[in-house]
Amino acid sequence: MNQKELKELIEFLIEKDIAEFELERGDVKVRIKRGGGSSAAPDTRYFAVHSAPPVTPEMATTPAVPVVATTAPAPTQEAAPVVEENLHIVRSPIVGTFYEAPSPGAPPFVKPGDMVEAGQVLCIVEAMKLMNEIESDVAGEVVKKLVTNGQPIEYGQELFAVRQRT
Amino acid sequence: MDHATVVVSGTKIAEEIGTSRSEVWRLVQQLRRLGVEIAGHPATGYRLQAVPDLLLPDVLAPLVRATIFDKHIHHYYKIGSTNAAAMEAAAAGAPEGSVFFAEEQIAGRGRGANTWHSARSSGIYCSVVLRPLLPPSEALIISLAAGLALHVAIQAIDPKLSPDLKWPNDLLLDGKKLSGILTEMNAEATRVRHIVIGIGINVNQASFPPELRDQATSLRLSTATEWSRVELTATLLKSLDREYRNLLEKPEARQSILRRFEESSSSVRGREVRVEENGGFEGTTAGLDARGFLQVRTAHGMRTVLSGTVRFLK
Repeated sequence: MNQKELKELIEFLIEKDIAEFELERGDVKVRIKRGGGSSAAPDTRYFAVHSAPPVTPEMATTPAVPVVATTAPAPTQEAAPVVEENLHIVRSPIVGTFYEAPSPGAPPFVKPGDMVEAGQVLCIVEAMKLMNEIESDVAGEVVKKLVTNGQPIEYGQELFAVRQRT
Repeated sequence: MDHATVVVSGTKIAEEIGTSRSEVWRLVQQLRRLGVEIAGHPATGYRLQAVPDLLLPDVLAPLVRATIFDKHIHHYYKIGSTNAAAMEAAAAGAPEGSVFFAEEQIAGRGRGANTWHSARSSGIYCSVVLRPLLPPSEALIISLAAGLALHVAIQAIDPKLSPDLKWPNDLLLDGKKLSGILTEMNAEATRVRHIVIGIGINVNQASFPPELRDQATSLRLSTATEWSRVELTATLLKSLDREYRNLLEKPEARQSILRRFEESSSSVRGREVRVEENGGFEGTTAGLDARGFLQVRTAHGMRTVLSGTVRFLK
């Protein structure tokens, strides 16, 4: 199922005011639940996509917005409307500056779409001229880089989303 | 090493190391090319002119007894980078206290894409492996402690000399760079696996390439005397050992590091600086925060310098 088909499906559900919808077709599984009525609580917002080939969270977020926007403030990227099993978040263990490459001008350690092993270096966070190699603690696919090169990083900040290999 | 400068025949050396006299000749020639002064030839025997000021394990180990650094000293005549070698060894399980020296680095590293000029046997190029039982966020201060340890070591040898610490851990003499430290860490979320501290010190350089002349100095250029690299290295390792043990064992060690750092740095307060991070900003230095990060007062309020690029404006 591509993004256009998904969008059409969601528009169809809105048009017909269908609150809940589930579809299984081969290895593609789509479940959409939308807060259609005015009484819908925010926690009923739910949108999940499990499919192969994988759908990236950015792609899933786009069609999700019109579904929930009727009753709740439009979720921002941070509000993480995407709920996906096996999605592992790699966080920074220190305060510092984020570097995606071993040195300026060098190619990045990893980019979205790359497969990584547990223990593989994803980036460097520098504090006080101490270079901290941040490793992936799971094996799988790098789905998203959540920060930009040179950005200041807080303790515990989310750096990468990795879809765990099962 | 007690009778290092007696004459030893080529035959005896050959027997001791289990090879031929011609192989001994080849090895001696190789040592001479590396700068070791050896008199004689296979017929009369060989004699070391002087104990070379080389950072050899047999020479250093007795001088750093009872520190964590006396058991696993590795010495290379030429290497890419001691930090790269130490990180690789640490990942493969090298124990805490492992030390890596090189007489010459052909790919000496600095911060970012910077290199470290590592001329043969005139500087000290040294990387140590530490495995502190600390969470990563509490291990950062080791970066400051390393610079402080070198400051203490230099003053212990020459009390008249007062190098100026530049945050986070450079040492300056006459406003020029005397040493640089690059620390690398490998950690899990709650636990440090290993830390490698790489220390480059300009010791006996009589001159620098033109592109470094305005920025770099050496102990020899500053004091007009040659320094024993062996003595300085041993003093540094003892000083580093003391700072490190205190940090792990004494609750007040952090406060002490921050206080002594401020005492040994003319630029940590009241200096106009430009910081090349997070878009870049300018302001006046205002001391260290409790974690050891440099504070800079700017037109838009107080800011914290996270990484290392601080440039003096005046």
